[in-house]
Amino acid sequence: MADKPIKGEKRFFVTGNEVVAWAALAADVDIMYGYPITPQNEIMHYWTRLAPKYGRKFLQTEDEISAGFTTCGGVFSGARAFTATAGPGNTLMQEPMSMAEMMRIPAVFVITQRGGPSTATVIYSQQEVTLTCFGGNGEGMRIVYSPGSHQDLYDYTIKAFNTAWKYRFPTFVLGDGYQAKMRESVIMYDPEERGVQMEPTEKIVGKEGMPGVDREPAHLRNTYNTEEELNVVVNELVDAFWKAAPEIVEHQEFNCEDADIVIVAHGVVTRAAQAAVKELRDQGKKVGHFRPITLRPYPIEAMKKAIAQAKEIILVESAEGQLDKLVKAELYGSKVPITPYFRPGMGITSEEIVEFINKKG
Amino acid sequence: MAKEYKIALAGEGGQGVQSVAGIIVEAANDNGREALYIPNFGVEQRGGVSIAFVQIADEKIGSPKFKKADIVIALSDRSVRRTAQYVDERTTFVYDSAIEGVEEDLPKNAAKVYAIPAIDVAKNELHPRVFNIIIMGAVIEATKVITLESAKQAIEKKLGYKFEQDPKLRELNFQALEKGAELVRQFNK
Repeated sequence: MADKPIKGEKRFFVTGNEVVAWAALAADVDIMYGYPITPQNEIMHYWTRLAPKYGRKFLQTEDEISAGFTTCGGVFSGARAFTATAGPGNTLMQEPMSMAEMMRIPAVFVITQRGGPSTATVIYSQQEVTLTCFGGNGEGMRIVYSPGSHQDLYDYTIKAFNTAWKYRFPTFVLGDGYQAKMRESVIMYDPEERGVQMEPTEKIVGKEGMPGVDREPAHLRNTYNTEEELNVVVNELVDAFWKAAPEIVEHQEFNCEDADIVIVAHGVVTRAAQAAVKELRDQGKKVGHFRPITLRPYPIEAMKKAIAQAKEIILVESAEGQLDKLVKAELYGSKVPITPYFRPGMGITSEEIVEFINKKG
Repeated sequence: MAKEYKIALAGEGGQGVQSVAGIIVEAANDNGREALYIPNFGVEQRGGVSIAFVQIADEKIGSPKFKKADIVIALSDRSVRRTAQYVDERTTFVYDSAIEGVEEDLPKNAAKVYAIPAIDVAKNELHPRVFNIIIMGAVIEATKVITLESAKQAIEKKLGYKFEQDPKLRELNFQALEKGAELVRQFNK
């Protein structure tokens, strides 16, 4: 086995796709499965360059459905495995993702959102929030991280593998085309040196010993005969998910304590929101920012506290209300009005947020 | 130098705007500054205007793209038209004087408009291959986001392996860098 890919801490200046490939290496990932689609291609590209040097593997499949299922298969064999996709590929991959929910398969999926619907653009959007959180014919028993910088991409890609294997739910890193393609600085490190132990993996199929004699038989099913039987299983899934949720939820707050207006934004848009808060505070306006890092499960308790004194929420996203829907469902009953600032498939700058808030008066 | 700089570099595919942007941000990062660079990218394999969005600052940078640039460099007629949207009254707009038929399209709201003969200089004085390095020199002189010295180090890092084989190339590239800076310096006098 080759040396550790990252020793100590080192500053890099690379694209987000390269960050993800390095993070997966640092997280001791055994194999990536994938099918090319922009803007995630370079994750595969860098992985295939780096992986052989460190004894890791790669399999290119014939499409995204297959990439998703082979990832699940890899996980069944006890491998720390992931795949990456975007846009129409994310749509196709919903079936294996759904199976991962049903069978509690700790697979990791990296999504680099592009414009939608359909082929649309290969550039950028936040239009895959609903699909990533709730796609498939299930209940959205998925863990979804929304990174906002290269540092987040590194930290949360590593974390995604631990979350997946600890809680046994499919885990997603929901990036976007901007983060995938841009270059900025990032500190990479060996997780172990920071006291982060990788959750051990184990075989799910083909465990050691004779089933029924040496160990309990592994009973892996995603097909059920009766409504009652399925209902019991889904209830167990849902209970397990919500029991784990308080340990999983993450968020960040910026000047919310005394804010009249709280900007809610996630992913790369948090950068514009943070800069807007700074600018508006300099202008003497009481503005704060709440950023959910986990979109699923949603950090609702923290958000309720953050908006307790607010007179208004400004919901800012590069989609036509996908985060907005999440927030409204969670905040049902709250009297704080929500004003939308939706730019589907387009980037958002701090200047635009500042101007919008100032114009509102 | 404390100022945050937003730079939009636009040209035709093959003019090297993306590689220039790449070298500048590498150099800035090597000097311990924060830099962010994102190319425009689409479904086309060729054709279309290539734009590099570059930001350099002392603190972490916000949105990857921006609405208005401090400096816009446009290297073709289509690029001149395409980049007008990034210009406001604080923008320095630089374009190549060899571009024809854009007189009417030059931004009227820019703080300064410079026409530099980079294409001519590359063709007649140096070598067409170093056109993008001339542009790099011009960008650095106009913004001072990095020193010419650190630009040279960055070029060395990127092209050093070629220079080993042919040391004349190093000289040619460094000349091109100085020349590009000189073309802008005339305006800044």
